[in-house]
Order: sequence, then C-alpha cells, then structure tokens
Amino acid sequence: MRRIGRLIAAAATVAIAVLGVAPSASAQDSKRPADVKHGGAIAGQGTATAPGCDQCHAVESTADGGGGFPRLAGQSAYYLEQQLHDFASSQRASAIMSPIAKPLSADDMADVAAYYASKNDPFQPLASAGTALLREGEQLARVGKAAKDIQACNSCHGPDGAGIPPAIPYLAGQYAQYIASQLHSWRRGFRKSSPESMALVAKDLDDREIAAVAAFYQQARNAAAGASASK
Amino acid sequence: MAERLKPVNVVTVGVGMTGGIMGKELAAAGLKVVGLERGPMRDTVPDFQSPAAHDELRFAIRKALMQDNVKEAVTCRNSSDQTALPMRRWQGFLPGTGLGGALVHWNGQTYRFQPADFTYKTHLEQRYGKSFVDPELTIQDWGVSYEELEPHYDRFEYLCGTSGKAGNLNGKIQPGGNPHEGFRSREYPTRPMKEPYYGALFRKGAESLGYHPFPQPASTLSQPYTNPEGLKLQQCVFCGFCERFACEHFAKASPQTIVLPAALKNPNYELRTGCQVLRVNLDSTGKNATGVTYVDAAGREFEQPADLVLITAYALNNVRMLLNSRIGKPYDPSTGEGVVGRNYAYQTVSGATVFYDDTVNINPFMASGSSGTVIDEFSVDNFDHGPHKFIGGAYVGAIMTNGRPIEFHPTPPGTPAWGLGWKQAVAQHYNHSVVLTVHGSSHPTRRNYLDLDPTYKDAWGLPLLRVTFDFPDNDIRMSKFVTDKAAEIGRAMGGKIVAAAPRTRPWTTTVYQTTHNTGGAVMGSDPKTSVVNRYLQCWDVPNVFVVGASAYPHNSSYNPTDTLGALSYWALDAIKSKYLKSPGPLVQA
Repeated sequence: MRRIGRLIAAAATVAIAVLGVAPSASAQDSKRPADVKHGGAIAGQGTATAPGCDQCHAVESTADGGGGFPRLAGQSAYYLEQQLHDFASSQRASAIMSPIAKPLSADDMADVAAYYASKNDPFQPLASAGTALLREGEQLARVGKAAKDIQACNSCHGPDGAGIPPAIPYLAGQYAQYIASQLHSWRRGFRKSSPESMALVAKDLDDREIAAVAAFYQQARNAAAGASASK
Repeated sequence: MAERLKPVNVVTVGVGMTGGIMGKELAAAGLKVVGLERGPMRDTVPDFQSPAAHDELRFAIRKALMQDNVKEAVTCRNSSDQTALPMRRWQGFLPGTGLGGALVHWNGQTYRFQPADFTYKTHLEQRYGKSFVDPELTIQDWGVSYEELEPHYDRFEYLCGTSGKAGNLNGKIQPGGNPHEGFRSREYPTRPMKEPYYGALFRKGAESLGYHPFPQPASTLSQPYTNPEGLKLQQCVFCGFCERFACEHFAKASPQTIVLPAALKNPNYELRTGCQVLRVNLDSTGKNATGVTYVDAAGREFEQPADLVLITAYALNNVRMLLNSRIGKPYDPSTGEGVVGRNYAYQTVSGATVFYDDTVNINPFMASGSSGTVIDEFSVDNFDHGPHKFIGGAYVGAIMTNGRPIEFHPTPPGTPAWGLGWKQAVAQHYNHSVVLTVHGSSHPTRRNYLDLDPTYKDAWGLPLLRVTFDFPDNDIRMSKFVTDKAAEIGRAMGGKIVAAAPRTRPWTTTVYQTTHNTGGAVMGSDPKTSVVNRYLQCWDVPNVFVVGASAYPHNSSYNPTDTLGALSYWALDAIKSKYLKSPGPLVQA
C-alpha cells in the first residue's frame, strides 16, 4: 500500500507542474486530516452561508444527469478541493459556484472534498449518442487527431478517462453536457485554471469535436461495465 | 538475383533524422528521392499511444524500439589483443531502428558544440603549446568552422522548436543563459522548460559556488510551436517516459513531428520501410556509386540505381556500410594508416548522486527527457587546462529524465545489492535523491577504432561491425576532475550523502552509459586523415555522402544531435548550391 500511495503522490506532483496549479491548498500538505463526516454535513445541509451541495449535485452525489451539475462522487479530494479554491478566487469563474465557494473556510473545502471523494455511488445508465459521434469521440480520446496534432485525452486522463488521481480528474461517466461546457469555458477564457494545458487543448477543438469527446466519455463507464459483464 | 528497379536521383540509407531532413529537402528541390528504412513504419498515431507507450518493461528493459540484435549485432572488445564478442542484449548503448530512427526515443537534449571544437587541434596548440596534448590522442580540426555552421544550427533548432534561453546573442552575453556558448544569431524558438525541483536545488548549489546555471536546451517543448515546415508540436507534460520511449503527445521533436509529414506529402519522395540495405554498389572504377542493393521484408533482393547515395544511418552503421561496400581505405591501428574506422570516440559519462533526508521530496518521475539545469564551466576548453594533465571536459547538471519504478533505484554506497536491506534503502531514498550527470568529451586514440568482425555475421551473411575501445588516460583524468566538481556542487546543494562515481576503466558494454558513438568516417581537409570532406562527401566516391555523427573527429562534452542537425543542413546546402550544378568532388584533395 505504501508503494501505491507513493505512486499516487507522484502522479499528483506531475499534474501540479503541468497544470500550473498552486499546490498551497493541497489536502496532502494539510496537517489537519479532513473530516469526512463534517464534509457530509455540509453536502447535505450546507453551512450558514452556503446551501447544501446535494441540492444541486443531487442525491447520492451523482447529480441528475441533466449535465448542468457534474457528478462528484469518487472524484479525487485533491481535485475537488482545488476547484473550490479556484471558484472562490474566480480563477474558475462561475456565477453559481463562486459565491458558494467564497465563504467556505479552507477546512470546509477540504472536508467536503474528502466527503465526495469517499462516495462510491453507482454510475447511472445514461443515454448514448449516435454511433458516428461516439466513434469520433473515441478516436479523440484514445489517439487524438493526428491531422491537427491534437494529443489523445487519455494520455493525461488515463485509460478511457479513468482519471489519474489526485490531480487529474476522471472523465469516464461524467455528464457530456458538463464536459462540453467546460471545454467551451476554457476556449472562451472563463475557466482560467490549467492555462497551459486544458486551455490550449480546448482552443484546438471545434464544436463538433467537443461534442464528440464529451459524448464518448459520458458513456465510457457503461461501455466498460458492459464489457466486463459480458466476460 | 537482384531485381533492378527504375533509377532515381537520390537514395537515403536510413530514414531517421538525417535521412528524413535530407530526403525532404532534396525532394523539394525537384529530385526523385527514395528513402530506405530497414525498420518498420511507425507514427505518433497509432503506434505511440497510451497506455501501451508507457510500458517500462517493454521499452526500457526489453528495448522494443532498438535494432534487432538477433539479426544485426555489434561486437565489442577493449583492445586489439582480445577477441570481440557480439552484444546479445543492448545495454551499454542502444542503436535505434524503425522510421524516425533514434530521434523517436531520444531525450531531446539539444546542445551546440563549442567554436573551439571545430578547430580543436589548432586551438589547443595555440593556447597550450604543441607538446601539451597527450600524443596518444589523434585529434584534428574538423574542416568546418562554428561560424559556418551557426545558421544551420539555427535552422535545425527552429525545425525542432527547441526550448531554451540564449546565453550569447551575436556576442552579447545574456543573463540566464549559458555564458560559455558560441554566439547565436537569435533566441531559441521556444522559452525554456519549467525548472523541476531537482534543477532548482542544483541552481542554488551551483550559484553558491560562483557558477552560471542555465536551463538545459530541450527539444521536448515548453509550449505549442509550429515549425517552418508548418508542423505543429504540443507542450511536454513531464510524463517521465522519454528516452527509450516514443512521445504520444506530439511534444518531442522526432522526424514524425518535425519533418516527415512534409516529405511524405511530396510526390517526389518515396518511403520504403522494411528494406535492409546490404551495400552501396560501385562501378568498375570504384570511384562512382551506381546505387544500393537491399533486401525487403519478404526477403526479395533489389538493386536501386541512384545518382546520389546518402548514407544516413546510425554512426556505427554508417561505418559498417562503408566497410561492407569497400568504400575508403580501412584503418589499420598497427600502422596508423587508412581512414574508415579511424577516430572512433564515445562519451565519457559519470555522475554524482546527492542523497537528502525525507524532508526533501524530489519527485523524480516529474521529468522530461531534457528538463533540468546545468553548468558549462567545465566543458571543452571553458577553463584553463594548463595546470591539469588533460584536455576536454564535461557539462554538469541535474537532468534527471525519469523516476520509473523498475530501473530508478538510487541507493548510497554500502547498501546491499539485493534483499531486504536493498529494498529498505530504495524505499528510503527513491524520492529524496538527485542524480547529477557529468557528460564528458571523448577523444580518439590510435588504438580505439572500428572494423569488420572476422568471425560474426548478420542475418544476411555480412560481417558485423567490431568496436575496439577503452577510455584513454586523458579522459579518465578529465572524468575524475569534473566529477569531483560535481560532488562539490552536491555538497553545496545540501545533500546528506554525496556519492561521486567518476568513470573508470575498463569500458564495459553491460552497463548503460550513452548511445553517443561517434567517428569512424570522420570529416576533415586531408584525405589521409578523413573519410569525408568538409561537406560530408566521400573523398573516394564523390556521389556518396556520409551524414552522421560518424563524421565527428572527436566527441565533445555535449550530446551530439544538434551538431548533427547542423551538419545535415550544411551538407544539404553544399549539395543543393554546388553539387547538383556540377556533380563531382566539392573539395580537391
């Protein structure tokens, strides 16, 4: 286990360097262990200044699949905590999340991030896009697009978007509409986190490519589950 | 019987960096070019993609991208009185194969040689007198000057998109760059890579001793870049899988990312992979090449007639091609006469490991093949050799390329070589050690050379190349001197233990040192001491050019690739502006 822990820490640091994320708020560096129970209370009931996260991110923290609100369950605590800091500083500007994140204390952020990371809720079956779009998305995810020198998303996000925790989030099973909206945010400069990798990648993608790759990752868990079930 | 194919203007033996660049340029100049590559076709998509691309066992240990030494090995020995044996497993050095050659699995370290390197003998005699250099060393001037090569260095670096900081712009020293480098006509095409933590520690230690650290020039790019061929490269993500691996990310300069797509678009250019060239064919006079004979992947033999033959394989294979084709007089160490195989040199690499306690986290896996920080105070002739009994030098740097689990196991001296004690030491030191590299020059001697092995043959029945080599006393002394300097820096970096390991004899092929084999078909201005003239054109067969590090009369303190890129464009210029107008010798012997 120690070895696995070290490898994970390794991946984290790689990503920090690559994404240009300030590691100051890292859960790992924090001396105080995250309080998952307190995080759960914030998720369910909110704080004096913030509504409970579950109100939007939905029951069982899987969200409703509408796509406006991303699935948080099982996402890495490091990544989630970093996003809360970015919302608070408007590095990742969001009309909804920035006002919610700003009043949270650093400890609240760490706790609620640890809570969602600890959740292991099932992935709901989701609608799948048409085959042509999925194929195109699969290509982009797995090998990129050589004609435009676009690198494969999986190169950083892991096999079929499984994520490389703690710094690189999973995409597999995330809602297509959310993935697409984030790529558009980067492209249009609203999301300023990860300026040296995701912003550059997003600028290389056109609308159809964004739709394709988002559609692919939304069903990547279904596909994986289907494959293992059929074995 | 070989099937005779339709004649073409140019054939390149090998399609790696030099074959790719020259093939592309000559096709663009209107010539019909055929590129013959013995290895497979391969490209970023689909061949280099994750997760398969990051398989340490397959690529780093089993060396999947290297020359197939079941078919074609190299025999090695330390001296002429020994019997050479074939390398059955690549360990000491790793000749690549396949489309793109070694530039697919290189690290991207992109150094220029020093102006003094090109006038080496003259320079050293002027500075230290005629009797200073050990008479054992057969150093000589290159026949080309740094000033002549500068525009071609520039062109190659802009092709690669090399990331770095200039230290000398047209003679003006620039803060943050290497103050000892030869002048550059302009800044690097892309900014330096980010400094890793081990580089920052090195910078601090080196600065405290008065040195001038600078970011290592890297062709693993710091930012997206579109090169003059219109090809776009991406930003390196410090994945730690560079050397021995191909890049899945379009971030490393390789023929596939910098030049081949432009060549393949041109109908004048034809690529044939899986084609093993057996020899360059000569006419009855022996002074004119008629083309090459090769065997394809199905075992069929072909003769490809060509007006111009460019030998653009790996340095060792260039020399072997000449010997097997009977081009040039083979070198004889007993008389010192002959040229093919003469002035073989290697690279004198050593190191020092700096061990910290567990409060310092290095995270060595967060690396590119060429990220890191170096100093140039002890390279080439950047310091006064007067008090020392050697010539040459080394750059010193924290340039760790990876922290991969199978092979990266720094342990301090006194650690058991296996068992529980070793495992505990690896766990203790893995994330708290910085390896300093001492990358030193290698000088040719009369007794180090290349020839054909009298016993061992390849899969096609041709003799293997035999390497006879051991480190000269001069280079051993140099290694000791500079490695001690590295250890001083290690102590200044705050290491709890600093373990210096200068290079010692004998040369062994069982421990990886470097793949920087040079010489054997060296350039110069005298046919008695060189195989090719200053334009890399064969003295004996003027329609054959030998383009490779095989042309280096000695190997400098630096990685050889940038200089080879410069020499390729330099030779190309001469071919396009002089040779094609009037085929024949470009220099009268």
